Amino acid sequence: MSMDQTFGIIDKIRMKIWLAALAALCMVLSCNGDNARLLASKNILNQYLVEGRDLTVQYSIYNTGGSAALDVNLKDEGFPETDFEVVRGNLNVRWERIAPGTNVTHSVILRPLQYGYFNFTSGEVSYKDSEDATESVSGYTSAPGEGGIVNSKEYDRRFSPHVLDWCVFAVMTLPSLVIPFLLFYRSKSRYDQPKTKKN
Amino acid sequence: MASKSKTPKSLTKEEELLLQDFSRNVSTKSSALFYGNALIVSAVPIWLFWRIHQMDLYQSGILFAVGTIISTYLVALAYKNVKFVLKHKIALKREDAVSREMTKKFADDKRMTKKEKDERILWKKNEVADYEATTFSIFYNNAFYLVLLVIASFYVLRSINPTFNYLCSVGLAAGLLALFSTSTK
Amino acid sequence: MATTSSVVVLCCLFVLPLCVLGDTCLAPEVKTQTYTTTEAVTSTDTVFIIEFTLKCKNSVSNMNLYADIQGKTLPVTRTVTGDKYQVSFSDEHANLPSGSYNIRLFDEEGFAALRKTQRSGEDTGALKPVHTINMNHPGVWKGPFLQSEFVAATVAVFVWYLAYNARSQLQ
Repeated sequence: MSMDQTFGIIDKIRMKIWLAALAALCMVLSCNGDNARLLASKNILNQYLVEGRDLTVQYSIYNTGGSAALDVNLKDEGFPETDFEVVRGNLNVRWERIAPGTNVTHSVILRPLQYGYFNFTSGEVSYKDSEDATESVSGYTSAPGEGGIVNSKEYDRRFSPHVLDWCVFAVMTLPSLVIPFLLFYRSKSRYDQPKTKKN
Repeated sequence: MASKSKTPKSLTKEEELLLQDFSRNVSTKSSALFYGNALIVSAVPIWLFWRIHQMDLYQSGILFAVGTIISTYLVALAYKNVKFVLKHKIALKREDAVSREMTKKFADDKRMTKKEKDERILWKKNEVADYEATTFSIFYNNAFYLVLLVIASFYVLRSINPTFNYLCSVGLAAGLLALFSTSTK
Repeated sequence: MATTSSVVVLCCLFVLPLCVLGDTCLAPEVKTQTYTTTEAVTSTDTVFIIEFTLKCKNSVSNMNLYADIQGKTLPVTRTVTGDKYQVSFSDEHANLPSGSYNIRLFDEEGFAALRKTQRSGEDTGALKPVHTINMNHPGVWKGPFLQSEFVAATVAVFVWYLAYNARSQLQ
């Protein structure tokens, strides 16, 4: 009995939520019309930013609108040539269309040429929000913000295995251990005869 | 002559005196040997700090020189202390073997007096003990120094900046080495 | 009414394929440059970047391409000047192990066919792409199994232990 009642209440609540959601959806649709609306983010996929080592920038663009965005342009001028070298990928690209409800990602590999703090700014996105739009809408991606680029020396100190350097170290220390020991051992084995030999 | 008949675990007064004399006043030759070895083993850490801790060889030249000199002094001190301790022990251990060898050697020599033979044996004993104590002391201290250094600079002081890391780890390794060399009997 | 509809159908049957044919790239000549993440110490994700240029015999350019990699379909990005294409693909390190990967490129027509077969749950392997790029990912390096200073310290402790043992035997 009481179980049924509670279920009934839950059902009612569900209905209400659905209705509210529907209403909200209608609102959004009516607000946007059928136009495309793009949300763009710019992220850096690195735990450490290191001078002279690859840095991955990823742009994701998501179309929240009701129709396809056309002629989408992504442009990022936030990486000056004096500070960054492009390893692979392009910083100025376009897509013919981005369907509603889908997202596209784009990555670029850069190499920081200097260490220190760098302010990662946002990229620019421009697109036509409907088939018959004559002017394009423009916006910005999110900005990752300021990030510290680690000195490559400091990074090497912490993360490089230095196998060769350790091997050289071993070779350097070997004589200082082996030579005195061998000299000692030669004398020791000459005089340190077992007790049974006595007499 | 007395040494053989008495208990083998203790040395006679003369022997003691001779051994003491030899070990306290380290001859210039063995002193040079100690300092030379200490210098080599103290200079080796520079490689680690240059290559792995990425310190600049020229920029930190003075630091390296100072560190090496201090460490050389302390390591040489440790060599001497350990050698002094070991020499007695080794002299006791090698006593029989050396005198046996020497007696065999002098067996045919009829012209040598007993006293002369004993003196030769004593001298040889001292020489063997000195040689073994010296070489072993160098070996032991080098091994100990390197362990202390690697652990200090890569584990204990890992996150400290390289300059302090160098000074502290070299100072710590050499200091502890010298300390242990005096404390152990 | 019947005649007009049949005209439309005829149009569809004859004209559309012609249009499509006009856009199809014949004998594509593809030059690729690839990049894969090789280090896990600094990067959070494995990223594949495939840049390529496409030359068709029938001089079709500015094609709208789609890439299919590991069953995921992505639109191919084009540079603004239009002469270069780029596919970016990223996932967690564990999901993209080392090995060889095939990136199949589809044009609009092929893409439509691909979607259709995907929706019906059939195997897409039979579809003929415009071009297939084969890329080798050497894998990400996750740092050494043992840290070298650990090995060095262990060896040093071992040597010291031997020395200590020898010393206590002397005493």
